[in-house]
Amino acid sequence: MRPRKAGLADYVIVAVFIVICFIMIIPIYKVLIDSLDLKTAYGMKLFPEQFGLAGYISVFTNPTLYGPFLISVIATVSGTFMGLAISTLGAYVLIQWDMPGRTLLANILLFTMIFSGGMIPTYLVLSSLHLTNTLWAVILPPAINVYNLVLMRNFFEGIPTALFESAEIDGCSPMKIFFGIVLPLSKAALTSIGLMFAVSYWNDYTNYKLYITKQNLYNFQMKLRSLIMGSDLPTAVGGATENTVKNAAVIVAILPFMIIYPFCQQYFIQGVNIGAVKE
Amino acid sequence: MAKLSKEAAAVTTNKRPLTTSLYFYRGFYIMFIPVLVFAILFHYLPMYGIRYAFTTYKGVKDPVFIGLGNFTKMLGMPAFWSAFGNTIYLSVVKLLLNTFAAVALSLLLNELRSLKFKKFAQTLVYLPHFMSWVVTASVFTLILSPTSAGLVNSILVKLGIVQAGNEIYFLADQKWWVPMYFMINVWKDTGWATIIFMATLSGISPELYEAAGIDGANRWQAMRYITLPALANTIITVLILNLAKIMNLFESVFVMQNDAVMKQSDVLQTYIYTQTFNSGALPDYGYTTAVGLASSIVGCILVLVCNKASYKVRGRGIM
Repeated sequence: MRPRKAGLADYVIVAVFIVICFIMIIPIYKVLIDSLDLKTAYGMKLFPEQFGLAGYISVFTNPTLYGPFLISVIATVSGTFMGLAISTLGAYVLIQWDMPGRTLLANILLFTMIFSGGMIPTYLVLSSLHLTNTLWAVILPPAINVYNLVLMRNFFEGIPTALFESAEIDGCSPMKIFFGIVLPLSKAALTSIGLMFAVSYWNDYTNYKLYITKQNLYNFQMKLRSLIMGSDLPTAVGGATENTVKNAAVIVAILPFMIIYPFCQQYFIQGVNIGAVKE
Repeated sequence: MAKLSKEAAAVTTNKRPLTTSLYFYRGFYIMFIPVLVFAILFHYLPMYGIRYAFTTYKGVKDPVFIGLGNFTKMLGMPAFWSAFGNTIYLSVVKLLLNTFAAVALSLLLNELRSLKFKKFAQTLVYLPHFMSWVVTASVFTLILSPTSAGLVNSILVKLGIVQAGNEIYFLADQKWWVPMYFMINVWKDTGWATIIFMATLSGISPELYEAAGIDGANRWQAMRYITLPALANTIITVLILNLAKIMNLFESVFVMQNDAVMKQSDVLQTYIYTQTFNSGALPDYGYTTAVGLASSIVGCILVLVCNKASYKVRGRGIM
């Protein structure tokens, strides 16, 4: 930015950042190395002492571990689509500025951001709807996320109104405009908000803890939690220690987003910025 | 152009009678039905359930109206007050620490000369944001574990600070839990929180720095008198936005607490959870709904106050 020669301050700042980077990475790296080490590792090592993939093999061959992984995948994929459907439909209706009752509908949604029934009444409602102990309980309620819906509306506002008008003159129905114009023009927004939904569905723990008591409907976060807390000791295969399996399970839990994150970083960041510094 | 046509559209629709207008928008009302159904099922029906706060409701028998009985019981419970105090203390200190750390980190990132290294550092500090609280708690449970496999204790033993066999059980020690909770939060959230500050910083005109340079300002002075003031509004915005959410504190505490540190770590939402689902006895949904209602009301007041503050500071609300 400012053409200057690198001074002492620059070296100090770089040194500080190297320390910060180490602080960020050491906890994750330690878990990664331990997950690949067949011996229980003591202290910090650069490489596993006795390399082996048995920890991961244990995770993916044990039905009590890969079952929850599949539940996580199913809930994340279907929840993300459900969330996007609700957000885009709501956002599209909310940009119809001249629609009678638009403000009322917007306020009905916005009020839920100010006030909520709370944990127990929500639980009682889901339980009386017979949704508890079904995957619907963890897929449906988070799909209506008013914050994400408002973000989507902010994105939609950027679409030139002239496009809607000419389509209307051509006799397109609202549905046709929605699928033919709005959605194709909002790929960045769909990616951005879709990723936000996906992260929260994948990482969901609270909803499972509240609404799911059947072990066979646990997601990977629930399973990981009971593994680490020791209430549910893993069955290790192929010479892996219990510690190896625990560490491997942690890595498996973060792997999907670690893989796509470097490619999607801009979409994640876009989502934050449009929400916070909207003009 | 877009604005003009919007106004033109407003004029034409205003001329339309309401029934024609309703008919014209019929497709949109139909499209809104699923959204409305979701909002009613998962937001408004639970609000209707708040009536249980004024009853004794054990689930098996019908709720019995007891007026404000639950609230008098709640106000007389030391555990409620301790949870209330912890909620405020943990979330306010966490908010201040995280924001301070994020501002400091943004200022430092802004001073990095190598763009490549800056990008690398940013990618790295954003990472923990994608880890769930369960994963974060798992990672730190493994690292802070008092067994010999725990990284921190094994280093402390090696350095001779702690004697072998006397390892510190960081996450189950009443002295250590609160500082550990704050540290883990800073580790997880600081990087992600810099995004909004970095966006503001990228908007500062380079001419300001050039002018300051010509006037003989050094780097520190430029940071102090140009960069930091430019962030002031964003800092206030971030504090207001997050202050509105402090009563929601749940998952991050829930996955890190255990019986040994209940007194330090019990917050309102975890209190409600354990009273309902882990108390051993038949849960009184009425009482825990009442505690939830108290928390919602405080949260609601905070949102409204923050909204007002937000209008004052930046001319628009928080929503």
